[in-house]
Amino acid sequence: MTSPISANIRSLTLTLALAFLVTSIGAAYWTVLASDQLANDPFNPRLIAATNDRPRGAIVDRNGSPVATSEKADAGFIRSYKDRTLAQVVGYASPKFGLSGVEAAYADSLIGQDPADPVSIWKARYLGDRAPAGQVLLGIDLKIQKAAADALGGRKGAIVALDPRTGAILASVSVPSYDANQVVDPSKQDAAFDQLSHSPDHALLNRVAQGLYPPGSIFKVVTGAAALENGFDPTKKLRVDDPYQADKSWGDYFVRSASHAHGLFDMSDGFRLSENIYFAQVGLQIGAAKLTDYAKRFGIGSTPNLDLPAAKGQLSDSGSIDRPTLLADTSYGQGELLVSPLQMALIYATIANGGVMPTAHYATEVRDADGHVVRQIAPGPQGQVISPTTAKTLTTMLVGAVSGQGGFAFGARIPGVDVAGKTGTAENRPGEAPHGWFVGFAPASNPTIVVAVIIENTPEGGVAAAPLGAVVMRAALGK
Amino acid sequence: MIHAQAAVPLGRGRFTELSLLIWVATLAITGFVAVLATETSSFRPTAVVVPAVFLALMLSLHVFLVGIRFRGDQILLPIAAGLTAIGLVLVQRLASDLLLQQLSWSIIAAGAFAATIVVPRDLTALARFKWTWALLGLLLLIAPLLPVIGREINGARIWIKVGPGSIEPWEAVKILLVIFFAAYLEEYREVLSHAQRRIGPFPVPPVPYLVPIVAMWGIAMLVMVFEKDMGATVLFFGIFLAMLFLATGEAFYAIIGLGLLILGGIVAYQLFGHVQARVDTWLRPFDEDLRFGTGYQLVQGLYALANGGLIGVGLGNGMPDRIPIVWSDFVFDAFAEETGFLGALALLGTYLLLVYRGMIIAVRAPTPFLQLLAGGLSFIIAFQTLVIVGGNLRLIPLTGITLPFVAYGGSSLVTNWMLVGILMRVSQVSERMRGGGPS
Repeated sequence: MTSPISANIRSLTLTLALAFLVTSIGAAYWTVLASDQLANDPFNPRLIAATNDRPRGAIVDRNGSPVATSEKADAGFIRSYKDRTLAQVVGYASPKFGLSGVEAAYADSLIGQDPADPVSIWKARYLGDRAPAGQVLLGIDLKIQKAAADALGGRKGAIVALDPRTGAILASVSVPSYDANQVVDPSKQDAAFDQLSHSPDHALLNRVAQGLYPPGSIFKVVTGAAALENGFDPTKKLRVDDPYQADKSWGDYFVRSASHAHGLFDMSDGFRLSENIYFAQVGLQIGAAKLTDYAKRFGIGSTPNLDLPAAKGQLSDSGSIDRPTLLADTSYGQGELLVSPLQMALIYATIANGGVMPTAHYATEVRDADGHVVRQIAPGPQGQVISPTTAKTLTTMLVGAVSGQGGFAFGARIPGVDVAGKTGTAENRPGEAPHGWFVGFAPASNPTIVVAVIIENTPEGGVAAAPLGAVVMRAALGK
Repeated sequence: MIHAQAAVPLGRGRFTELSLLIWVATLAITGFVAVLATETSSFRPTAVVVPAVFLALMLSLHVFLVGIRFRGDQILLPIAAGLTAIGLVLVQRLASDLLLQQLSWSIIAAGAFAATIVVPRDLTALARFKWTWALLGLLLLIAPLLPVIGREINGARIWIKVGPGSIEPWEAVKILLVIFFAAYLEEYREVLSHAQRRIGPFPVPPVPYLVPIVAMWGIAMLVMVFEKDMGATVLFFGIFLAMLFLATGEAFYAIIGLGLLILGGIVAYQLFGHVQARVDTWLRPFDEDLRFGTGYQLVQGLYALANGGLIGVGLGNGMPDRIPIVWSDFVFDAFAEETGFLGALALLGTYLLLVYRGMIIAVRAPTPFLQLLAGGLSFIIAFQTLVIVGGNLRLIPLTGITLPFVAYGGSSLVTNWMLVGILMRVSQVSERMRGGGPS
């Protein structure tokens, strides 16, 4: 018996009604549930259109000096960027290419609709009544920023300085940089953006937070911290004989000493003379589990909490340390480690800050058009990573690395100030010159500034980077 | 469940229709006023003339139906009129240059509707010429591929040149296809639904009887491959499966068909660049390499939706014009931005009402042919709406199918009005049989 067509019609109608129900749920998702996230998406043209016919809020440094303002042009307002060295931090607000940097991260605040001010958001959305835009204050100090940018000069690399007590970023330089004014200039934008997005130098990339490099010797503080907190005696002398291998199973694989050393080293010596073989042995003694634990606590391999995009890097390709040679290499900062300058600055900030890791942030405050504070941006610390005692011990050793006899980081010395720091010469792909690192803080007894410097592909390695650290710290300390 | 009782009493006059048309008038007038109120700089007299002409047109259709003592359904005309009114408001909002064109098309559509109401005198006679419809459908399908009259627009070769403009013949093909399927399946549905043999739980269909419809479908698919139009391909396939199910009640056909569709989709994904691009765009429109490329339109559409919120930003207050070709492909997103989730829900509800009404007519129709005809035509409205809105909402890959009555486009408007005309004819046949009297 053939089923009656009427019954089939009913079944089909029911199926279609269910499909309409699913479609309605889809509509609810995009219009209501996903609404907030998409409404603030940096590429949503509505965010920029809201400031086409009226000025967008200014972005200023910690002393109120403008770094981005809106200026009247033939067709509405156009953005004007004052400091090329801040290009990747401040970003751009382009009607064509969307938003980036602080322009994107604080897009709602810059059009007078800060999340801390829901009334303005509702008035703008449903009444078309937009509050005049206020401004976003950065932690950047243009004086320190200039010192850092001048010090790096035309060399590819990055410098970041932050206050270890608050996590506020004081200076952030990424070279090569670009002129954001061209990206927002209707007559030049297409050529400029095309060239930037295809540049082999990745000028759009904020190397401070998104550049990933092998750390080299500056990573030794992580190995040192793991050892100190696991009962390792830092005064115990270890035998160093270049080249080193733990046993015959390593075959033709050796750890090399930068100074071809032979002798007895304790941890202070290890930091002062940046001895790879010493730290390789420390790592092998404490084991992969403990080193991995501390690397993770210090944020290696996880994206730092930041108000701008940041890369997470890696402990190793597989995410774990699964063989003794990799453990040895990782212990002195090579192996398959990848870190950003910001991550390293945060590790040293933790040591400077009594073992508590601060949360990094570029912006510090949002103000309304009348200058009233709408929102303070002061994210709390990430937590206690190492004990105050360990932090103190490491600080003493890092002071030794700068001012001790034969200290590798001698270039970072500042007369009258105790500087703690460490250089690193990070080996690179074969055939490429190493990257030169310096990370340090001052004054050692009561640190107010941490600085991380990387110079890409410099034959002198860390020795070249240390003086740049000194210049930045002096600018910050007024010395 | 659909009940066979008349939801609306059908008397001599058509008061239900008239009173519902008053609501349509309110909708059209407030819609135009709202859009005009936000366009202070560019006032055009057309914006006042258009709703007036349109409402006069709808009223004359009503008077025409009363005049010929038409006794069929009274709900469909107001729904179609309401949707067309929303379409005109949105054309004014999104592409006011095209407003006069769209108004002209609605006049033609109204004419086509009126013609469908009176021709042919005997609706059942359509079934007798089923092979003629099949052949005509094929010719129309192939037409865009022919030189001189064929045209390629936006990458799809689905247009033919007519006078100064161009039309999409597949819009007409979808109705011819339903008529052909309804006639053919009425004749052979008994054979098709009684599988002679079974392999395990699966019926083995009587192959010879399936040949004509499968061939019809296969040729349609093949032509669509050459014309590069996924929307029409999916629609034809949907009609084929739905009508086979309506005729036989064999869910098995639908399941096999869906399997074939997925298989065909995978093959097409491998073979054709334009299919691959559509699917990739659907899966990850926000990727850096897509959001400024093939994903741009979809992403802009999603931004528009997100701006809508619960109640929308108000007609004329949003920025749906940032979506490329919004008036034809993305009207739903534009409507949702300015009227919010509630507006979108109301619009979907209106379509569901139209479909539901059509399906009631199908249930009540006196012959299998008329039942299949009304069911198939109602299915078209539902399926087109679901496919394009689903594409706009990123529930499924986007296809270039039109939102019935609302999206800008002449061929679509005319054929959908004819479709509604046929549905009303079917309801009239049922009324006559029920009432027994002459019309």
